Amino acid sequence: MSETLRLNGKDVAIVPGESVLELSRRVDVEIPTLCHDPRLKPVGACRTCLVEIDGMHRLVPSCATKAAAGMAIDTNSERVVRHQKALFALYLSDNVDAAETDDTSAPSELHAFASKVGAPTTWPKMQHKRFQRAGDRNPYIEYRADRCILCARCTRYCEEVESVSAITLAARGSETTIATSDNRSLLDTTCELCGGCVDVCPTGAMAEKKPLSLSLLPARELEKVRTTCNYCGVGCQMDLNIDRMANDGRGVVAKITSPDAGVLPNDGNLCVKGRFAYQFIDHADRLTKPLVRGEDGELAESSWEDALRIASEGLKRVAARHGADSLSFVSSSRCTGEENYLVQKLSRAVFGTNNVHQCAAT
Amino acid sequence: MAGLVTTFGAGAMTNSIGEIRDVDFLFVIGSNTSEAHPIIAMEMKRAVHRGATLVVADPRSIWMSTIADTHLSLHPGTDVALLNALAHVIIEEGLTNEAFISANTEHFEAVRDAVLEYTPERGEEITGVPAEKIRKVARAYATTKKAGIYYTLGITEHSHGTDNVYALSNLVLMTGHLGYASTGLNPLRGQNNVQGANDAGASPVFYPGYERVDDAQAQAKHEEAWGVNLSSKPGYNLNEMMKKAGEEVKAFFIMGEDVLLSEPNVSRLEAGLNDVEFVVMQDIFLNETARFADVIFPAACFAEKEGVFTNSERRVQLVRKGVEPPGEAKPDWEILVALANACGANWDYQSASEIYDEMAKHASKFSGISHKRIAERSLGLQWPCETKDSEGTVFLHEHGVLRGKGQFQAVQYRPSLELPDEQFPLIMSTGRTLYHYNAATQTRRDSGTNAKQPEAFVEMHRFDARTRGICDGEMVSVWTRRGKIECRVIVSKQVKKGCIWMPLHFAEARANLLTNDVGDAVTGTAEYKVCAAQIARLEPETPRPERFPGSFCRDSEPV
Repeated sequence: MSETLRLNGKDVAIVPGESVLELSRRVDVEIPTLCHDPRLKPVGACRTCLVEIDGMHRLVPSCATKAAAGMAIDTNSERVVRHQKALFALYLSDNVDAAETDDTSAPSELHAFASKVGAPTTWPKMQHKRFQRAGDRNPYIEYRADRCILCARCTRYCEEVESVSAITLAARGSETTIATSDNRSLLDTTCELCGGCVDVCPTGAMAEKKPLSLSLLPARELEKVRTTCNYCGVGCQMDLNIDRMANDGRGVVAKITSPDAGVLPNDGNLCVKGRFAYQFIDHADRLTKPLVRGEDGELAESSWEDALRIASEGLKRVAARHGADSLSFVSSSRCTGEENYLVQKLSRAVFGTNNVHQCAAT
Repeated sequence: MAGLVTTFGAGAMTNSIGEIRDVDFLFVIGSNTSEAHPIIAMEMKRAVHRGATLVVADPRSIWMSTIADTHLSLHPGTDVALLNALAHVIIEEGLTNEAFISANTEHFEAVRDAVLEYTPERGEEITGVPAEKIRKVARAYATTKKAGIYYTLGITEHSHGTDNVYALSNLVLMTGHLGYASTGLNPLRGQNNVQGANDAGASPVFYPGYERVDDAQAQAKHEEAWGVNLSSKPGYNLNEMMKKAGEEVKAFFIMGEDVLLSEPNVSRLEAGLNDVEFVVMQDIFLNETARFADVIFPAACFAEKEGVFTNSERRVQLVRKGVEPPGEAKPDWEILVALANACGANWDYQSASEIYDEMAKHASKFSGISHKRIAERSLGLQWPCETKDSEGTVFLHEHGVLRGKGQFQAVQYRPSLELPDEQFPLIMSTGRTLYHYNAATQTRRDSGTNAKQPEAFVEMHRFDARTRGICDGEMVSVWTRRGKIECRVIVSKQVKKGCIWMPLHFAEARANLLTNDVGDAVTGTAEYKVCAAQIARLEPETPRPERFPGSFCRDSEPV
C-alpha cells in the first residue's frame, strides 16, 4: 500500500522522492512554472508554482517541496489564484507585449501562462535596465534582455547539464542580467554552442539567430516532424520545424528543436551540430541532377534515364571483363538501414560478389 | 565489432545511454566524448556531478579529463599494455569475480597466464602511466558494481585495434561487470547509422543479422530468399578495397562516403583510382572522390527521406521526411532500386518500410521490428527484438552471455607499426572536433560551425614548437612518409611532448594524406591514431588571427 496525500480534494498515491510539482503533473493537474526543468535541480526562483498546503503558514513552491504522506494541497485556492495573477502581471510589466512574441523565436511560456491565469495586462510598463551584449558575433545564439525574467534556466542548464558555465547571472537588483565573462562573444568563451539555453528559455530571451534572408512563419505555426539526427551515433531525437509552403512548396527546415526532457535517448538535449548545423539542407551546392563524365573528361548534367543506363552498362562491362569480384561496393553508415540493405543486396544478389563494406566496422 | 562478436556474441553497446547517469565508475578510454559524442558526455557529466568516479585514459588532455578523478595519459598505441596491467592487478589482488568467471566464461587461464608479466611497473615502462595510478584504477574498477567502460575509435583505429577490444573484454569478463544496468562494455558509434549499416549486412563477411557468408546454411537461406546463387567467398574489407584499387578492383560503387578524405594514405589511393575503369557515386554534394566518378547520382539528405537509423545502443529509430529533395535528387534507396533494375534485377519496393520488412524477415535479431511498431512507441526499439510483442532489449547479456560463454582472449602488447625515428620524431594522431563532422561537407557549409573553426590546424607541445622555432598560430608544414600538408599550428597543453594531433575534417589540409593505411589484422581498420611525422615552420609567415578557437587549454604563454 503506497502512501497518499490529498490534491485539490482528491486522494493521490505518492511516488517516493517526487516533488509536489512532479506529482501534480503526473496526475494532469497543471501548475504554472517558469524556472523549473526536469533536467535541473529545483530552485524555486520564479515563485509562479506556489501552492497552498494545510498547516503551512506561507504558500510554498511546489517544484522544491517534496510530496509527503498526509499533505492536503490546494493548487487553485483563492489565495493561490490571487498570488498568481499579481505575480504574472508583475512579470508582464517588465517584459514585451504578447504581440511581440509572435516572431520566429520559441512561443513564450510566460505569456501563455499569464493568459491562462487571467493576469491583468494593463499594469504600467517598467523600463528595464538589463544590459544586453550587443554585437556578439556568434552565429547562432542571441540574448534579448527585454524578454528576460531571470529565471536562470539557461545559466543553470549551462552549468548543470552542459557543464561549461559560459553564461552566468551578472550585476545586481534591477540590473541583473545574463552575461558572459568580460561580456565576450560566446565564440570566445567556453560555450560549445549547444543551444540548450535557447531550448530551456521560457520567454524567447535566449533565441536562435536567423539568417536575414529567411522570412518564415512564426514559430508556433511551423509543422514539427520528429526525426533522428544524422550526425553521430547517439541517435538524438529532434523535431524539424517546417514551413511547408516556403521554397516553392518544397518546404524549408526553418529550425530544429529538441523534444521535451525525458525523450530518449537524448533527454531533450542536442549539440551544436544537431541543433544548428542544418544549413546544408538548402545549400546551393546540393546536387540536383545526375552527372555523367563525357568524352571531354568533364562532368555534365544528364537525364536520369541516361545516367542509369551508363552506370549499369559500366558496372556490367567491368564485371564481364574482370569478373564479379573486380567490383567493390562502398556503402555508408550515414545512410539508412534500408539503403545499406539494398547496397549489399545489389552487390551480392545482382552482381554476385561479397565485396561490400562501409567505413565503420570496428 | 568483430572483437565484441568474438568475445560476447554481439557487437554493440551492452548497455544504454540513459543508464550512464547512474554509473558509479566510468572508464573512458580512447574517446574524446565531449567533442565526438556531446550528448553522451552530458550523461557522463551528470554522473560525475552526482559523485561518480571518472577515469579517462587518453594520450591527450581532453575536456573530459579536466573533470576526471584520474587521467591516465598513456603513450599513443600502448593500450594493451595498460589494460593488461589493470588485469594483472585485478587478478593478483584477488578482485576477480570467480562465480561469474566459472558460470559464464571460458579460457580465463590463458588470460591469467598472459597478463602475469604485465606488472604495473612494466605497464609504467611501456605506457608512461605511473604504476600507482594503474593499481588505484584497477582496484576501483573491480570493486565498484556499477562500473562501465566507454570507448571509441581511439581503441579501434590501430593495427592492434581488435586486441584492444579483447583486452577490454577481458576486464569486463573477469570482474563480471556485465548483464545488468549501468555497467558493461560500450563502444560509442561515430556515425548515425554505424550500427544499422553493420546490422543490414553492409559487410564483406556478414549477411543482414550477422550470419556469415561462408556458412552454407546462411547462404542457402539467402539464396532461397533472393532467388539467386550467391558467392560463399568473403569479400574485401574497405581497407583491402582501397589498397587493391586499380589492381584487383576495377570498378567502384560508392554511396555517401568521400573515400579520398576519409581513408588513410590517400595519395596512394588516388594513384590507384586512376587505374580503376569505372566509378559510380551517389551523394548530396560533390566531394573529393567526385574527381574520379563517371556517374554521380544526386541523393536526398536525411530530412528528405524515410528510413531507420540504429544508434549506438541498438535503438532502431525512424528518420522521417520533412521537406522535398532539391531538383531531381532522390532518396538513396530509390536510386538503388532504379540502378538494380537497370542492371537486370526485378526489384519492386514501394517504400522504405517494405524494404525493412524484407530484411527483418530473415534476420532474427530484428524480426520483431517494423516501421509501424517504432512509430507507435515513439522511443524506437532496441534489438534483440525477435517477436512482434517483444519490447526490445535495454541491456544485453541479462540471462547469461549471448554467445553462451563469454570468451577470454589473451593478447600481448604489440607496438604500433610506425614508430617515431630520427627522420620522423613525432607521433601523429588524428581525430574529430565538436564543430565539424567527418568530411565536413555539411558542417563547413554552415556559417556557424565554420566560423567557430574555419581552418585546419595541428596541435603541438610547446617544447617541440620551441626546438623548431615555431610560434603559436604560425603556418607549418607537416609531413610523413606518405605525404605533406600545410596548416596552422596551435601550441597546446592538450598534447604530450613528442606528440601532435590534427582533425581530419579539412579538405585543403587532408590529414589522411599523412596517415598510415596499415590495417588491423581482423577488421582491416586503419591505424589513424599512430604514425610518425615531422613538422617545420613555413616561410613567409602568414598573419596570425587574433583568436583561434578549437583548443580549450591553449598554451599561449610566450615560448
